[in-house]
Amino acid sequence: MLGFIGNVLLWSAFAASLAALIGYGWSARRNNDKLFRASNYLFALKGILVLAASGVLVHLILNHQFQYYYVFNYTSKDLQLKYLFSALWGGQEGSFMLWVLFSGVVGLFLMRFTREPYRKPVLFIVALNQVFLLSMVVGIDFGFMKLGASPFRTLAQEMPNAPFIQQNPDFVPSDGSGLNDLLKSPWMMIHPPILFLGFSMMTVPYAYAMSALWKKRYQEWVNPALPWTLAANLCLLTAIFLGGYWAYVTLSFGGYWAWDPVENASFVPWLFGIAGIHTMLIQRKSSTSQKASLIFAILAYIAVVYETFLTRSGILSDSSVHSFVDLGLYNQLLVFMAVIAGLGVGMMFYRYKELPKQDKESPLLSREFMTFSGAMILFLIGLVILLGTSSPVIGRLFVENPTPPEVSFYNEWTMPLAMIAAVLTVLGQYLFWKRYDAETLASALLMPLLITSAITLTNIIYVNVQDIYYMAYLFTAWFALVGNAFVMFRLARRQPKLIGGSMSHIGFALLLLGIIGSSVYNTDMLDQETRKYNQAVERGEVMGENGMPVQQKVEMVELKLNEPKLINSEYLLTFEGFTVDQGPRPGQQTYKIKVADPEGEWSPFYMYPVVYPMKKRSQAQNVEWSVEPDVSASFFSDIYLYVAGSSYVEDKNEEIEKAQQRNMRPAAAKMGSSQGAGERQQSNESSKPSLTLQRGQTKQVGRYKVHFKEFMQADTSNMPSNASIGVRSLLEITDTRTDSVVNVDPMFAVVKRQDGSYSYAPPVSIDSWNLTLQFSNVNPATGKITLEFQGIKTEPVEKAWVLISAEEKPFISIVWLGTFVLMVGFLVSIYRHASRPKSSH
Amino acid sequence: MKPKVIIGVVAIIGFTSLLMYNFGNSISTYTNFKEAASKESAHVVGKWADAKPHGFSMETKKFSFHMKDRDGNVRKVVYAGSKPNNFERAEKLVVIGSLKNDVFYADEMLMKCPSKYNDANPSEFTKASEQ
Repeated sequence: MLGFIGNVLLWSAFAASLAALIGYGWSARRNNDKLFRASNYLFALKGILVLAASGVLVHLILNHQFQYYYVFNYTSKDLQLKYLFSALWGGQEGSFMLWVLFSGVVGLFLMRFTREPYRKPVLFIVALNQVFLLSMVVGIDFGFMKLGASPFRTLAQEMPNAPFIQQNPDFVPSDGSGLNDLLKSPWMMIHPPILFLGFSMMTVPYAYAMSALWKKRYQEWVNPALPWTLAANLCLLTAIFLGGYWAYVTLSFGGYWAWDPVENASFVPWLFGIAGIHTMLIQRKSSTSQKASLIFAILAYIAVVYETFLTRSGILSDSSVHSFVDLGLYNQLLVFMAVIAGLGVGMMFYRYKELPKQDKESPLLSREFMTFSGAMILFLIGLVILLGTSSPVIGRLFVENPTPPEVSFYNEWTMPLAMIAAVLTVLGQYLFWKRYDAETLASALLMPLLITSAITLTNIIYVNVQDIYYMAYLFTAWFALVGNAFVMFRLARRQPKLIGGSMSHIGFALLLLGIIGSSVYNTDMLDQETRKYNQAVERGEVMGENGMPVQQKVEMVELKLNEPKLINSEYLLTFEGFTVDQGPRPGQQTYKIKVADPEGEWSPFYMYPVVYPMKKRSQAQNVEWSVEPDVSASFFSDIYLYVAGSSYVEDKNEEIEKAQQRNMRPAAAKMGSSQGAGERQQSNESSKPSLTLQRGQTKQVGRYKVHFKEFMQADTSNMPSNASIGVRSLLEITDTRTDSVVNVDPMFAVVKRQDGSYSYAPPVSIDSWNLTLQFSNVNPATGKITLEFQGIKTEPVEKAWVLISAEEKPFISIVWLGTFVLMVGFLVSIYRHASRPKSSH
Repeated sequence: MKPKVIIGVVAIIGFTSLLMYNFGNSISTYTNFKEAASKESAHVVGKWADAKPHGFSMETKKFSFHMKDRDGNVRKVVYAGSKPNNFERAEKLVVIGSLKNDVFYADEMLMKCPSKYNDANPSEFTKASEQ
């Protein structure tokens, strides 16, 4: 019922958005204000309807209505409230709704603040986007075609042919399939909303550019469009940062960036947007680059839609680790992209002849030329990444079934371009604020160049850079930092409002430095023995089991419990045990790794990597382990490590395998297989080892040490009413293999009944060890107690171990710092350009 | 034509052709084990052959398993690392590396998983209890 209401809300919203679109189009053509106001009401009504539909969806999610496919597929009963709520945008359908909501809010702002002559066409374009986005979620079946996939469709609608649906169409699963554990992270909760906010705001420069072309007013549109573009880019940057940070601290691939198509897809619109910001700035200052501003504003949004197409059409399913599956929206997405791109490119060509031409060329040493060149470089970087990301499509020119390009393709092309961009930032900033000729510029740059050379030289010597290419890279990056710092300090004294640009460029320079530090100087943390082994592998001296030389090096370190190992001659790593907890992820192990200085010059610290069973798919018979790395961050370098294996996980897997075999045994027995083996096993299991202990004594059973500490009076309140004596023994049990300690206090009582006295000794279980023990007797004369155990592990005592995969990553902190400086730079620029008087012309 | 325009056109053509040439070289094609034998580096798509032995060797610190490619060839794969997250869940594996002596040495492995964004597997429903 609620689902039906939700669908009706979405249908009405779709109808309202269509009506608003027609209204806006007509009013823009005829310049009809009355019709425009009416369309505004329709637009707002649509917003309210979508908001209501989202409310219905949240209600269904919070109440676990698993008959709805969306609710079933993205949530489960044990999900925490915050993740339940974020499931609203966790799935593909919901994220489209969120996008509609945000772009609706953006539309309301535009209604209020946009001036004529752009007002009506801008809202027409925004409404056009709304129609397309809403069409993805309306879920109307026309018979000959389906429009969109509704978040309110039921299981029966989603898979009508499934056998359980055919048996019982009203089938409601008892629990949902839940959220992937890797995504249960606060970072991933806020990442999508910020990304979609960025997408929504990226519509604005596109809408303004289209309106400029429509109304043939090519100059003034950049004034309002500029702060919107800046804000959109700030959002995209924040979203990219959140994604990268999440990948770094949650996934075990060991970095913040992998040139994955999905990552690239949010990066390209960002680059085009930045290119647009640069040309808009010079258009605003000196009325040049009108064409470029239009092109970049249009391209940035086309890139957003293209990204949406790539990630949601299923086309990337081979090349990306995390792309969406096609919901049957392929054609719709293609139409969306074709319309947005076709309108943009078409209008551009249609008006091309009329576009303002520059009377004279900008000289080489002018802010116009430098800023424009910077924009072009950013555009080229975007193109290179776009090409790489499109390999499933464009790669077909070269081979069938193309793979994504190697990572080196991206690095080799973006690095030199970034170096050019770094130099241009300084030239551009100097020329932006003052007029120079070659001579005066050279003398102005003398000081920054000297300082840059000194820093670069120190840097090269200090970290022993040998590659001449990296030397050049470092020089350009330091130059960008120093040069822009000069400009920023000069500006800060006079007009602090103007420092947004130079500050962003400093952020960019810091990013360049951080990126090279963290990627090129990334080192595996290994002990001496492993290094020797790897050298032998390199020489082809190590033979494998098949008699062939071993091909691959070892990139992990094995640590035995409490046995320190010297790593990279710098760190002393010790595995000091682990704990198993039953928190939100039952069965999660937290390992305690001590990192110390062999010379003892700095105080040691601890790292706590985690291993846990993946909840969503793990069943009792088949546990899938997942890891969570731990990062110890400091300004100069991060230590990043995760547990690649441990004795506990191995024991656990063995246990599970045994349990599985035990489950299969009855079936095997029926088939007449060897009965004797089964019996022997049985007798083995039924034997209960026991211990007799005196107070203060310690004895070993299997691999456990049992220490009997003290007697204690038992609380009689929760015992059978006729119990006469109640006593507890305080025991400390140590697993010699893992050195973990558990304290238990099993009880022994005597219960009197008419037919005599009975002992009452409830068994105590230690779940994490699968051990059960019973306080089965006490001798009042000697004070000796008898304990019976079940589930004792008797295998030879081997020390617990853990396999650590660790890396030292220098200067990752600089990457984050650069990102933050860039963000603050954007904020300052938004503040300046949004508060500037409306007409500067 | 002005010399500036000519320089510009030459630069654009030069840049584009170099870019495309490099791009063409840096992509390869998804292939099978048979063809991988003659390649330096290959991307092989397939499925985990879970009936055959698999496991992590403490000695070499490698995870090895058997994979069946799309044409039905089964080879042993040695992956330079521990068993990755999501390995069992993957409906499709892409191993990247080289084949030597009928053993595929994978430096990288991609798992195509039924992720959060993907459709649920209908077979799961049979496990959910009926209400």
